[in-house]
Amino acid sequence: MSKIIELKDVVKSFGGTRAVDGLSLSLEEGGVLGFLGTNGAGKTTTIKMILGLLSPDEGTVSVLGGNPADPSVRAGLGYLPEAAYYYPLLDAPEVLAFYGRMSGMDESTIAERTEDLLEDVGLAHDAWNRPLKTYSKGMLQRVGIAQALVHNPKLLVLDEPFTGLDPLARRRFRQLIMRYRDAGGSVIFSSHDLSEAELICDSVAILRRGRIVFSGARNDLAGDASVNLERLFLSKLAESGDEEAKEALK
Amino acid sequence: MRLFLRQLGALVRLSFLDLYRRKDLVTVGALALALLVPLAALRPFGVAGADRYVGEVAMGLIWLFSLVIAIALGARQFPPEFESRTIYPLLARPVGRSTVLLGKYLGAFLAAVSATALFYVLFAVYRGSTGSGWFPSVLWQGFVLHVCALAVAVALSMTLSLAVTMSANLAFSAIAVFGMFIWGGRLPELAVNSPLPAKIALDVVYAIAPHFEFFDLRQRIVHSWDCVGVGVMLVVVAYAVLCSAALLSIAALLFRKRKV
Ligand SMILES: Nc1ncnc2c1ncn2[C@@H]1O[C@H](COP(=O)(O)OP(=O)(O)OP(=O)(O)O)[C@@H](O)[C@H]1O
Ligand SMILES: [Mg+2]
Repeated sequence: MSKIIELKDVVKSFGGTRAVDGLSLSLEEGGVLGFLGTNGAGKTTTIKMILGLLSPDEGTVSVLGGNPADPSVRAGLGYLPEAAYYYPLLDAPEVLAFYGRMSGMDESTIAERTEDLLEDVGLAHDAWNRPLKTYSKGMLQRVGIAQALVHNPKLLVLDEPFTGLDPLARRRFRQLIMRYRDAGGSVIFSSHDLSEAELICDSVAILRRGRIVFSGARNDLAGDASVNLERLFLSKLAESGDEEAKEALK
Repeated sequence: MRLFLRQLGALVRLSFLDLYRRKDLVTVGALALALLVPLAALRPFGVAGADRYVGEVAMGLIWLFSLVIAIALGARQFPPEFESRTIYPLLARPVGRSTVLLGKYLGAFLAAVSATALFYVLFAVYRGSTGSGWFPSVLWQGFVLHVCALAVAVALSMTLSLAVTMSANLAFSAIAVFGMFIWGGRLPELAVNSPLPAKIALDVVYAIAPHFEFFDLRQRIVHSWDCVGVGVMLVVVAYAVLCSAALLSIAALLFRKRKV
């Protein structure tokens, strides 16, 4: 199996703060990696480096065998941003068509995919031809998921995919990710929703203050039934010196 | 190459949707021009006088609205992308920043041209109906140079949008564009009659500011004068191309340096 994502000793600072501090991470082809961590731990910053939106100060980032700063490497990437803001005057099919064209898809494929995807993400039919400015938060998130998948990428990069979704939508989206994985895709997603993450990831990386405090396969955890993701999360944070996590474990 | 064209097409489309879905600018312009028709029908200054007068006002309004549209379109290509963070999913696509810049420029420019073309058609219909000929050559020439002015105006406000805030950009672009359009031709004359510091300032402005007055054929159109020579046309078009290219190179530099 080949590495889809490989980060080595990556450092990224903003002014005085080290948002990412010597982080190494890898994802095998076909894997689903849950990227967990407290607020401000550096998840979004890491994801932006994976997408080539930011370049690292130190270390190397390799995605799909290349440098994501190179546009052609990004052809295989699908990205769901942290906050779902898209063009407010367009409707959902127009948004998908726009992103599809940016990825070089032809019109007939776009039309087909649009129909399928909007069904898959469960966007209410009466909303299809309304401008996005009339959408609710969860509806926007659904459009976001659809645009990330529209060009059938090899790698999905999802920044907090479950925020704003109702339980049914979460379930639907979990199934969508599983189907995507079964069809050969790879996924990295950040999340604060540990129970959700537990259901879909096969490996996890826990981040605190820009450093990985734990990374391992999901199977290692399943061995010990008492170790669910939340316990693991708290104990790894506590081990790395987090007072609040220590408190919570008591 | 195919991907590049596809991406340009998508970005151009986005700008068009933005202009026509917002409706504000184009609708106001078209309505204002349409209101001139009853005025012309009343013919307050006798037949010939009314035609010329209404023609002059209409041409003035066309320039005003089209330049406002051009400045506004150029100015609002990038800031909303950064504010609403749509720039992230956009730049995560397999597209280079220079392609995004070029696509957005072409989109804003062509959208401004389309609105201006609409205004010229309204103008031609009015003039044609008063018997001055529907599409005389001088009107075509005027339109071509008008398009050149739009190209420079969009490039100016788009470049500034990557350097300063929206309101500073709108104020500065409006002053530069309308100031030069109205007074640009008179700057050398003003400079000669000014005391030394002001003279230097005026000379510098004349040397570096984009010369929007070069593109103004309103008088020829309104009075149905002769066409401009082909040589002059070519020089002015080349000037617009160079001016826009220079501004866009600065924009490309600013955009490449910009942390998203
Ligand atoms: N553009 C920026 N300028 C300055 N500081 C930044 C910038 N982007 C991120 N940071 C800082 O870097 C750190 C990591 O931020 P990041 O957004 O990566 O966290 P996160 O793990 O995604 O958090 P959350 O769970 O809240 O989304 C934070 O301290 C943040 O304030
Ligand atoms: Mg984040």
